[in-house]
Amino acid sequence: MSERAASPAINGDAAPGAAAAQPQSRGRSFLRRLLRAAPARVSLGFLLLLAATVILVPLCSPYAYDQQDLDLIGQPAAPDGAHWFGTDTLGEDSLTRVFYGGRISLCVGLASALVATLLGTAIGALAGFFGGRVDQWLMRGTDVVLSIPLLPLVLLLSGMFRPGLGSLVLAIGGLTWMATARIVRGQVLSLRELEFVDAARALGAGNGRLILRHILPNAVGPITVSATLAVGSSILLESALSFLGFGVQPPTPTWGNLLNAASPWIGTAPWLALPPGLMIFATVLAVNCLGDALRDALEPKD
Amino acid sequence: MSQAWLLRRLLGVVPLLLAISVLLFTIVHLAPGGPTDVYADNPSVTPQALAEIRIAYGLDQPLPVQYLRWASAMARGVWGYSIRTGRPVTTEIAERLPASLLLGGTALALSALLALPIGILSAALRRTAVDRVLTLVSFAGISVPVFWLALMLQLLFSIHWTLLPAAGYETIGDTGVLDHLRHLAMPAAVLSLATIANWSRFLRGSLVDALQQDYVRTAYAKGHGTAGVIVHHALRNALLPVVTIISLDLASLISGAIITETVFAWPGIGRLFVESMDARDYPVLMGLMMLGSLALVLANLCADLVYTLIDPRIRYE
Amino acid sequence: MRGPRTPIGARASVAALLLSFALVSSVTSVAAPLPLPSASPVHGGTLTVGISYDIDTLNVYVTAALGDIEAAVVEGLVAPDEHAHYVPVLATEVPTLANGGIELTHQGKAMRVTYHLRPGVLWQDGVPLTSADVKFTWEAVKDPHFLAESKDGCEGVESIDTPDAATAVVNYRSVSPAFASTLFTFGILPRHLLAGKDLNHDPYNDKPLGTGPFMVSEFRRGQYVVLDRNPLYWGRDAAGRPLPYLDRIIFNVIPNSNTLGTLIRAGEILFAPRIPVMLAKQLRGTAGIDLVTGPSLGWSYLDFGMKQVPALRDPAVRRAIAEAINRAALVKAAGNYPQPIHSTVLPVFETLYDPEPDAAVPDYDPAAANAALDLAGYPRGPDGIRVREGRPLELGITTQSGDIDGEIAEQILIAELKAIGIAAYADNKSGIAYRQARYKGAFDLQYGRITTAADPVYSMFYGTHGPLNGRGYTSAAMDAALARMETSLVPEERRAAGAEMQRVFARDLPSLPLLSYVSIAAKTRRLQGYVTNPTNMTDFVGVAHWWLSPRGTAP
Repeated sequence: MSERAASPAINGDAAPGAAAAQPQSRGRSFLRRLLRAAPARVSLGFLLLLAATVILVPLCSPYAYDQQDLDLIGQPAAPDGAHWFGTDTLGEDSLTRVFYGGRISLCVGLASALVATLLGTAIGALAGFFGGRVDQWLMRGTDVVLSIPLLPLVLLLSGMFRPGLGSLVLAIGGLTWMATARIVRGQVLSLRELEFVDAARALGAGNGRLILRHILPNAVGPITVSATLAVGSSILLESALSFLGFGVQPPTPTWGNLLNAASPWIGTAPWLALPPGLMIFATVLAVNCLGDALRDALEPKD
Repeated sequence: MSQAWLLRRLLGVVPLLLAISVLLFTIVHLAPGGPTDVYADNPSVTPQALAEIRIAYGLDQPLPVQYLRWASAMARGVWGYSIRTGRPVTTEIAERLPASLLLGGTALALSALLALPIGILSAALRRTAVDRVLTLVSFAGISVPVFWLALMLQLLFSIHWTLLPAAGYETIGDTGVLDHLRHLAMPAAVLSLATIANWSRFLRGSLVDALQQDYVRTAYAKGHGTAGVIVHHALRNALLPVVTIISLDLASLISGAIITETVFAWPGIGRLFVESMDARDYPVLMGLMMLGSLALVLANLCADLVYTLIDPRIRYE
Repeated sequence: MRGPRTPIGARASVAALLLSFALVSSVTSVAAPLPLPSASPVHGGTLTVGISYDIDTLNVYVTAALGDIEAAVVEGLVAPDEHAHYVPVLATEVPTLANGGIELTHQGKAMRVTYHLRPGVLWQDGVPLTSADVKFTWEAVKDPHFLAESKDGCEGVESIDTPDAATAVVNYRSVSPAFASTLFTFGILPRHLLAGKDLNHDPYNDKPLGTGPFMVSEFRRGQYVVLDRNPLYWGRDAAGRPLPYLDRIIFNVIPNSNTLGTLIRAGEILFAPRIPVMLAKQLRGTAGIDLVTGPSLGWSYLDFGMKQVPALRDPAVRRAIAEAINRAALVKAAGNYPQPIHSTVLPVFETLYDPEPDAAVPDYDPAAANAALDLAGYPRGPDGIRVREGRPLELGITTQSGDIDGEIAEQILIAELKAIGIAAYADNKSGIAYRQARYKGAFDLQYGRITTAADPVYSMFYGTHGPLNGRGYTSAAMDAALARMETSLVPEERRAAGAEMQRVFARDLPSLPLLSYVSIAAKTRRLQGYVTNPTNMTDFVGVAHWWLSPRGTAP
């Protein structure tokens, strides 16, 4: 399983976002470039559709996600008019659960990516800006965490403490920030040498202001790319955890634990395993394509 | 390559390992409960015996002292005893390691075998439909959840068409090579998918860059065909960056092995990890984590070394 | 993902010699039974077995799992058969008062049990079995340095005399009806191999030496154990031919239930004992596979964590929870295999079970449950969950992680509790952490299954000082009833005490018995001679008599 997409930019050698001269037209042309490629359009469209359905479907569904049907309990039932995706062993409607689970999986994915991005940006910015010993120690710390295999470490952490949603997000986010940190560090290293930084400093800006108001905004591009890719890997990580029995517990569905529940029935009720797996696949694929397209759109060269 | 750099790099491994060990030790000892839990609920174990066990494990000492004892023991190769089975941790790991190495090695070989042609093809035919399809397939490869893929393959090849065995290392009683290959097929395919995808994309990227260099145009001008140009000129330089990601993919392989070995009942260290998690068998868990980290650190080191060896232009100051 | 592991320390005592319990063992095939040619046993063949638990050790006294493999390798003096009656194994007969095997001493306050060893029995390495081995077994197991799970029976023994190589006289400190429980029944240890050795780390734990029909050839941890036929085995069948019939048994460790199912369907696994109900449901109707249900002395229950949750100390709350449970849903989810029960004494224990209504725990009555909780001072909050002093009534249910049947049941319980306004959530624990929580009462609610021996010692579960009374339940009335039940030798007294105990139980509700379980085994149609054994000695106690009909002959 890959927790991150391959990217030559992992060494942070993408060109620093060219200065903030004309944000308006730059933004518009950026969007045009982004949406030029078909995969980007499809991905974005899919993700927006997904967001809409995971919000709407559970609201419109005649079933609650944890509603057990006593008549159907005991064996998963095949899809029919009443239950379009069939039901699981407890008689719960699979369709409702898949989409409600989408809410959880997406939220955990987004929240973890957010945590990872914030953490990575903070660490990368500090390392890149201050350089010297700060940089050395921060990068050494990054190396330490990078040298421990990810899934075993996350398993260890979530197995030891009770898996609540909050601690899950912290665990995943707290262990996937390293790629972002490297990228941001590279960006900040190049950006801090530019003239506008000297100018701002001459005008009396302190370090904090320099980083937050001047340098980082110019690195927004690569940070966004990194954040987008982090969403994909967070979703995969969360579902792996849930699949192995850690992470989110039933009756709260996530795509991962739906697959866990479906795996005993793979031979006799394969329809239970198809939707959640496909959803993870499609979502992560869309996110990765989008991230890749974002990166392409940011490059000034073609 | 300067001797000083080499020496510094090698020595740098030690503090890294130490830092990793401190981090792991801290995490594990933050957990509620501890190594004596397995005995605490056994009515046959008297409180006196329990106290003796605690002393034997050194649990009555302050934490830093415990860490030092543990770290020095690990360095000497004494990795403690499994709580679950009572056997030395090194024995437990050594028994399961060959199976994981077989699986991982096969996955790596498969990756190299497939990623190379896919990457080259993609680069040579860039911007054509073939390239787009291959790129999409690569994305799919890194986006698909491993456990779901494993289940789908089982469904297809073991249940629907009974072509391949669903699980296990060998058919019980049969030790033929063909039998082993049949058992290896699905797990290795699943495990290698992500790395094939990564490597082929990465190779494509760096090959495309290499193909735009001047020396390549010169080669074309001199009359070399595309294939010749790629193989003799561009490839060597293009392979260089790929080396850097191999070590990261090792991390991916180790993580992926946990899921793959669980679904396919492969008797390797990935499954040992999950079993030890279930049993809160901290000595084994620590041993496995340290082993994994050691492997990663060494892989990174090798990658750096190879990188320097291959590219004479790079000198680390 | 392991299947359920049953008797956690519940290898309780058996009172077989003075009272015999006739249990009807039903061997019913759930798949349509096709008429088999009634062939006579054939020698030969390899039986591949799938077990879902990981083997921690092959020492029967140490293992926390069931001793399937050990039962094929190591023998004891006596063993319970498929009717839970004791039959002699290494002893020539089961000692009873009637045959003089048991004598009362010290004015009837103590007893002496004499075993006559079967002649001609050899250890698998050729050394003859003697009474010195019996004495050694007791000394080794009771040794405090030996960290073993199953030491029951050791403390009651004062001394053992061995007047000759074929006789062992065991002197007990008191009259102990349950003497034939763990010690000596689980197995005799070889003195010539283990005397003076540290049993905690001896190679015996990986390769036990026994007198049984099979010997351990290879033990690949995490993978398999290979047992080969013991050519020196003393057993003979009715026709005088040497037992066992099978040449080889290979136990494969397959913790993942799907994998096990696939291997069974593929014919790679020929026998799987105690499969999860989920798997049984999936295997129903598969050609060539029989599902054999046997009675299991086991039941599922919901324990109240009175130590940890003040609300649960109110009997009205416990009663309301009892009334919220619809056992029909649980039965259906378990493939209709189990039966609902309303008493902690299983109906199968006919001499103790009291069917009177006042001895039964409350049945499904959600209206009454809701009313009771309203009355007890737990009004419903805006989200439907009851609150008290501003805190919502939230309870964690703990069951063993990875136990798929248990997790399904847990989900049903959560839904049923929600219907009466209690927000329950899954708080599962694995392996050791789970057992710890049980013992210490570190849970709000606990769902579990337990399998006992033929005469459960209920004081272990419900007595004030019971080692398995983690929930902290204490009642003088219960203790009194239990005491009378467990020390009386008069059947009518025992029955009356049992009825009283069940009435106190129904009133106090320390625990909520839910369903009585069956044990389901999946086997190839080719496997003959197999009978289920409901006790914790496992089915493999009778493995010497199993045989495989050759491929192609059975339909």
